[in-house]
Amino acid sequence: MKKMEISTILASAIHESKNQVGTLLYQLQGLKETIDNKGPNQKKIILIEESLKKLNDEWVEYLYLYRLASDGYELHVDTFLMDEFLDDQVFALQPSATAKDLELSYVCDPSLTGVFDERLMTAVVGTAVYNAFRFAKSKIVINAKKENNFLVISIEDDGNGFNSPEEEHEDIHGEANTGLGLYFAELSATAHTVNDVHGSIKKETSSALGGASLTVYLPQSA
Amino acid sequence: MAQQDFSNKKALLIEDMAEARIMQRKMLTDFGFTSIDIAMKAETAIELLQRNSYDVVLSDYNLGKGKDGQQLLEEVRHSKLIPNTATYLMVTAETSIEMVMGAIEYQPDGYVTKPFSQAVLQRRLSKLLETKQRLLDVNTALDANDLSAAITAATLVMEKYPALIGKCERIIGESLLELKEYEKALELFEGTIKSRKMPWALFGKAKSYFLMGDLGNAERYFRQLMLDNRFFVNAYDWLAKTQLAQGNPEGAQNTLIEAIMKSPKNLLRQMELGRVSLLLKDSMTAEMAYRRAVFLAKNSCYNTSEPYLCHLESLARMSDEGPLQQRQKDNFNSTLKKIHDAFFDDPADKARTYSYEMDVYLAEEDILTAKQIFEVWIGEVKSGATIAPTQEQSSTYLSAFGD
Repeated sequence: MKKMEISTILASAIHESKNQVGTLLYQLQGLKETIDNKGPNQKKIILIEESLKKLNDEWVEYLYLYRLASDGYELHVDTFLMDEFLDDQVFALQPSATAKDLELSYVCDPSLTGVFDERLMTAVVGTAVYNAFRFAKSKIVINAKKENNFLVISIEDDGNGFNSPEEEHEDIHGEANTGLGLYFAELSATAHTVNDVHGSIKKETSSALGGASLTVYLPQSA
Repeated sequence: MAQQDFSNKKALLIEDMAEARIMQRKMLTDFGFTSIDIAMKAETAIELLQRNSYDVVLSDYNLGKGKDGQQLLEEVRHSKLIPNTATYLMVTAETSIEMVMGAIEYQPDGYVTKPFSQAVLQRRLSKLLETKQRLLDVNTALDANDLSAAITAATLVMEKYPALIGKCERIIGESLLELKEYEKALELFEGTIKSRKMPWALFGKAKSYFLMGDLGNAERYFRQLMLDNRFFVNAYDWLAKTQLAQGNPEGAQNTLIEAIMKSPKNLLRQMELGRVSLLLKDSMTAEMAYRRAVFLAKNSCYNTSEPYLCHLESLARMSDEGPLQQRQKDNFNSTLKKIHDAFFDDPADKARTYSYEMDVYLAEEDILTAKQIFEVWIGEVKSGATIAPTQEQSSTYLSAFGD
């Protein structure tokens, strides 16, 4: 048999596992409907469901990461109404936020449009929001605006923020955090280019909420 | 977003995996759908679509061994088995998305990525149906093939709902191309490209140039599209057309081979490669392409006699170089049998079949069999079941018989 690259093997393994998580989610949904929806087990089931969803989203992120890093990702940009895009993201992540007693919302001009790869940005926003879930005290807000030919999307929380020195921050964002999320966000942003201008990310303090803010800059054509 | 009433809508669910199928069916039932038909593979879906009409089609991209969801979509859209007023939602795994999105000519109304919750599906479907509702006049006009009315309606929708500007511009542009208003179409596509660099707009621009006869610019923009995205296989098809028009069949053949390597399951593309290869007298490549076309034609709504006859033709042309090898002869007989089983009633098809058979047997110098076929042919001409050989054919045969 031909020898395979270890990265390819890992990517296929993640893919297989991800599909199994999908099957588990379907089965869980079936189970959820058979039990009393006010019963004590309902909350546990929702917790399992949200964890599985997160696991699924993380694996999707790793798959994209693998392909971005190995130049195997083909960008598919399209124009989106930001109001609709962010509404979709908040809708998908709302159950997880609710399970953690956090408020999740978005702010943007209803007529704002942006050009980007929807799947990548869905994964980036998801990753950033999951991350914010761990540090936010009560709320997370996603903002979108246009600034000097860049579409600017920021995910802000009211936690302790990135104030602490870099190492400590890695530590805070700990629980075995490998920094993959940020790396993924960076690769995704950089993959967006317009006339040789690349996208980027920035870690900042949220001026509105006082916590951390991850900002993604995506170049737009003039 | 308005709550949709699904109870009076007919749904078709196409999914090969039992688990997902049961789950999705249950979801649709919970939304209020009362009429849900199920297909486990593309071929069954085509049969159902031929018999019934549906408001909503929910199809998986991955459908096991047969055709995939994208091929199914292309076929049913091409043969107008689903009206524009119906909603087509494709279920994908995140890894198949590139192939799906690369097909710019035939796109579903929306995508949903597995695994999805009931809430996500319901929301996606409601949104899509709402959009369809807004575009109802446009799609009704398109279904009636009244393109001017579609353009007028799309212009109105665009003013009322700015978020639908992309969809409307695309419909207007493509209608203008159909109406042969190439200059106007080009102007519209260029306007779109200026504000939003949409692949369909660049595709439209390149097609406008092609149809206006500006082959240089057509080639340039089809190539740009291919460079921007290697999955836009339709751009390869059109580049090949352009190269043919430029008198460069070799280039066209190479382009088509490249396209087939990316997307091997498209029957029309295989047919085109066969046709171009025969032009180049490259009967080997032609035979391979047509053999695949015959394979793909089975259970397809393009299942006409053409791929089968072309396959025989390519083998007949191969035999011009010398007798067929046993394996090739087997291929010939296998396709011949398929023609006999399914298509042997059209007089012109019959005549073509007989002529290819005669070519093959004459190449083997099997004069006896060739003569028998010729006699059957002439006999059928008398009864009116087929048409007579051309004068050229007759004289070739008779001289071969040594009569």
